[in-house]
Amino acid sequence: MRRSLFGLTENTWLYLLLSLGAILTSLDFLMAFLVAPVVLGGGVGGTAMIGGIAISNQLLFSQKIFFFHVPVAISSFLVFFFTAYYGVRFLMTKDKKYDTRAKIATEVTLVFVILTLITGDLWTRFEWGTWWVWEPRLTTYFIMTLLVIAYFVLRNSIEDEERRATYAAVFGIFAFMDAPISFAITRLVPSSVHPVVLRSGGGLTGTQLAAFLMGMFGMLMIAWVMFRLRLREEFAGEHIEEIKAALEG
Amino acid sequence: MDPVLTEIYKTVLGAAPYVIAAYFLLWLGFIVYVAFGIRKVTAVEQQLAALEESVNRRGGSPAA
Repeated sequence: MRRSLFGLTENTWLYLLLSLGAILTSLDFLMAFLVAPVVLGGGVGGTAMIGGIAISNQLLFSQKIFFFHVPVAISSFLVFFFTAYYGVRFLMTKDKKYDTRAKIATEVTLVFVILTLITGDLWTRFEWGTWWVWEPRLTTYFIMTLLVIAYFVLRNSIEDEERRATYAAVFGIFAFMDAPISFAITRLVPSSVHPVVLRSGGGLTGTQLAAFLMGMFGMLMIAWVMFRLRLREEFAGEHIEEIKAALEG
Repeated sequence: MDPVLTEIYKTVLGAAPYVIAAYFLLWLGFIVYVAFGIRKVTAVEQQLAALEESVNRRGGSPAA
């Protein structure tokens, strides 16, 4: 059944949110490259005037990856939260719809996790000359990636629907516990690869913060659209099976 | 080129392919997933509509 909010169908809302998410994410990219100041690296032996500003440090162009790597990483944590949330809801109600939602949230999480790893690896490769560093944030995030994949392995290994949903719900709740650990680990174990940037009074200038927040909200909107599209596909598929069963019965 | 400027811009060209690749792969990931999602939803909902029409023509009512 198509619901209507403020006179607009879900289809319209989805396409509006998708467009808005794409616009915000695009603005994030544009601002990152055209407006946000370049982060300065180590000092060079001298000073040069660039755009009327005296520069005496290397320009860290690779830092631009921050403007999409961090939003997609934070989005992965937030979407993964819904795996745990819907897992709890399923355990409380035993309603299959929550299991479906948890599964789809984990699928979207997997997409964001893969994109986070790819963008992060490209940044690490350039900065440190290696594709991987076993530092705290990367290690805990890699564990989270394995847990997300294991969620699907678990689901595929159980035939019985009720048991599958229950085990997946419990696993999803425990798996999500790695997300806040991975997010907060750099505050507990300092790392030069992942400095604490999101903190009061430090790290980002006004334009950098504006670009980052646009990317953040844009990607969350895209994540929401991904979730709703898959949910509609699942429920339509279930409805088809119900009709077929009714016709055969 | 001025040696100071060379030193200042030293990492920019080297970093550019990685930055462009990260940007491109991110967008590709989003576009592919959303495009596939829209395609699948459209196909499934068309199938559902056809099935419901077929049931209605037979005079029955689709399962709730």
